[in-house]
Amino acid sequence: MTIENARFGRAQARRQRANFALFLGPALLLLACFFLAPVIVDLGLAFTDMDRTLAVTTLTLDNFQRMTTRDTRLLASLGVTAIFVLCTLGIFNVTFALLLALTTTAVPRALGAFFRAVWLLPRMSPSVVYALLWLWVVDPNERGLLNQVLVHVLGMAPADLRNNHPLLVIILANGFIGASLGMIIFTSAIRSIPEHLFHAARADGAGALAIVRHIVFPALRWPISYMTIHQTLSLLVSFEYILLITGGGPFFDTTVFSLYAYRRAFENGQYAYGAALSLILIVIGVVAALGMWRLMDMRRLLQTPRIEVH
Amino acid sequence: MHAPTLATAAVHADGVPWSALAQRARWRRIGEQSALLVFLLAVSIPILLPYFWMVVISFTARSGGVSTRVLWTACAVIVPAVIVYCVVHLATSSVRVRLIAAAALLAASVALLVALVGPSFHFANYRFLWRPNIVEEIRSKATAGGQFPSVWIAFRNSLALALSETVIILAVASLAGYYVSRFAFRGREAFLQGLLVLHAFPAMTLIIPLFLILHWIGLLDTIVGVMLVLATIELPFYVFVLKGFFDAVPWDIEMSAMTDGATRRQAFRLVVLPQVRVGLIAVGVFAFIRAWEEYIFVRTMLIENTHWVMSLYLYWVSDDIMGVDYGIVAAVSVFYVLPSLLLYVFCQKYLTQMTIGGIRG
Repeated sequence: MTIENARFGRAQARRQRANFALFLGPALLLLACFFLAPVIVDLGLAFTDMDRTLAVTTLTLDNFQRMTTRDTRLLASLGVTAIFVLCTLGIFNVTFALLLALTTTAVPRALGAFFRAVWLLPRMSPSVVYALLWLWVVDPNERGLLNQVLVHVLGMAPADLRNNHPLLVIILANGFIGASLGMIIFTSAIRSIPEHLFHAARADGAGALAIVRHIVFPALRWPISYMTIHQTLSLLVSFEYILLITGGGPFFDTTVFSLYAYRRAFENGQYAYGAALSLILIVIGVVAALGMWRLMDMRRLLQTPRIEVH
Repeated sequence: MHAPTLATAAVHADGVPWSALAQRARWRRIGEQSALLVFLLAVSIPILLPYFWMVVISFTARSGGVSTRVLWTACAVIVPAVIVYCVVHLATSSVRVRLIAAAALLAASVALLVALVGPSFHFANYRFLWRPNIVEEIRSKATAGGQFPSVWIAFRNSLALALSETVIILAVASLAGYYVSRFAFRGREAFLQGLLVLHAFPAMTLIIPLFLILHWIGLLDTIVGVMLVLATIELPFYVFVLKGFFDAVPWDIEMSAMTDGATRRQAFRLVVLPQVRVGLIAVGVFAFIRAWEEYIFVRTMLIENTHWVMSLYLYWVSDDIMGVDYGIVAAVSVFYVLPSLLLYVFCQKYLTQMTIGGIRG
């Protein structure tokens, strides 16, 4: 009897291991090769002198010295990053997203869904196409869509936003995309407020603003704080639209920190210096990820499964 | 619609002018709703207009210039039609009236458009679809990156990349999602917490080391390499999405399959997977769209022009001939954006089902 049990136990343990390898193995393998390994590689690379030849000759702290003492352009790019992130986040990704969520939930359902779909359009269309549309909008000659409106409707002189106000262009371009994610999340948060609270407030004579302030905002506190961290992080690291619309220029005027690291590595071939710059972003990323992780509903996520038969 | 009769009765009973109050409330409601709609229309125009402009250019631009007359004429027809429809939509709740109004407005605006801008409409800008060497034809000289590939090579590469990434993600994420949803194993909490950190972690910061890793293992400048990288950095998100779908499947279904003699793997394949069909479609469509539109990683990791995907093809076309010929660039954009847009429109009801603890990302 005991021998039977032991054999059964061994067979079960073997099956457990086999299941682990079958179900989780592929995911673990991919994540180890292309997610964890790059972090370690970057950490190592930051202390080398790898350049265009992709060869490592010495281990050095030079990258960090350069960052802290010699690189004046880095400081400028930090300033650009701060303006870019704060403006995009403050105006579009949180405030305007909230406005869109509030207004699209207040009109008839089908129309609200239509306008939300319109605002999701930029997010769903390929980045190269979206950037191209912006180039056509801010085209400095009279063909540009913006100049058409400025000249023919408002009677103003044609503007060259891309050269004269490049930061404004990238803030708008990123904001039009950024607003949609917050809009979706705030909308579902508003939808999950029990309907009877609105009826009760209206019966008590509350106006639209009072309802927003006392019923909607309390329900949105958690999503807003989550979105703020999430979007700060994603604005901090994403440079796709900037690269496509202004290329970081004119000169270095719209080169945010993440784009700066990218340009150093892939334009100037200073891979080690790029890696050292990325290391800062990686550290910020880990810290912010841990912060967001605390905001998630951990108990429900980690609830132990109910079937334990292998 | 019985409110007015009740109200008139009420006036006689207690002297309060109920019907006037109801009337006033109705007017206020209509006023509020119109204000909201005007606001939403106003903020949506900056988005819709450029897309519309792109389509207009692609069908009307001739080599050397773009006429904006067509754009504004078309807008002058379409905008009033939309506004009239909105008014009709607000004024009545009858589906039949709404449908009739929509059909009438559609017919009227199509007729007007054909009459006003029909003559400038042509398909010549789409000739890149059947002429392989369009860029050199326009510039009448060889382009910087050697011979420009046919659009179909880029299309095929994009399709290969997006489909293989979708298949890999579906296979790996459904296995992992099922395992973390249903099995208890040592380190489960740590694994989930780690995965959550990876999900929130911005993978864009890893582009330099990923480039080097692909170079070292010999997968740089191959579709397979890019596919593996893209699939991996999105993986944590999809594992969580599918875990959510698996969590929602009642475990009794599985239990009864196993009491009937199925093994755990059979139960997964034959009983549970069909239950999460919606989740698999949503993840598949989303992964496909993401891979289809990818730019930064493919720009960094694909070099040869025979390995170009659609995003790179469009980028280089616009880089080479933007100043000369807007029409072709716009036509390539329309061609490129269409598949992901169609998928998005037709699969929207699946996409909206994806959540991670209430977060759709």
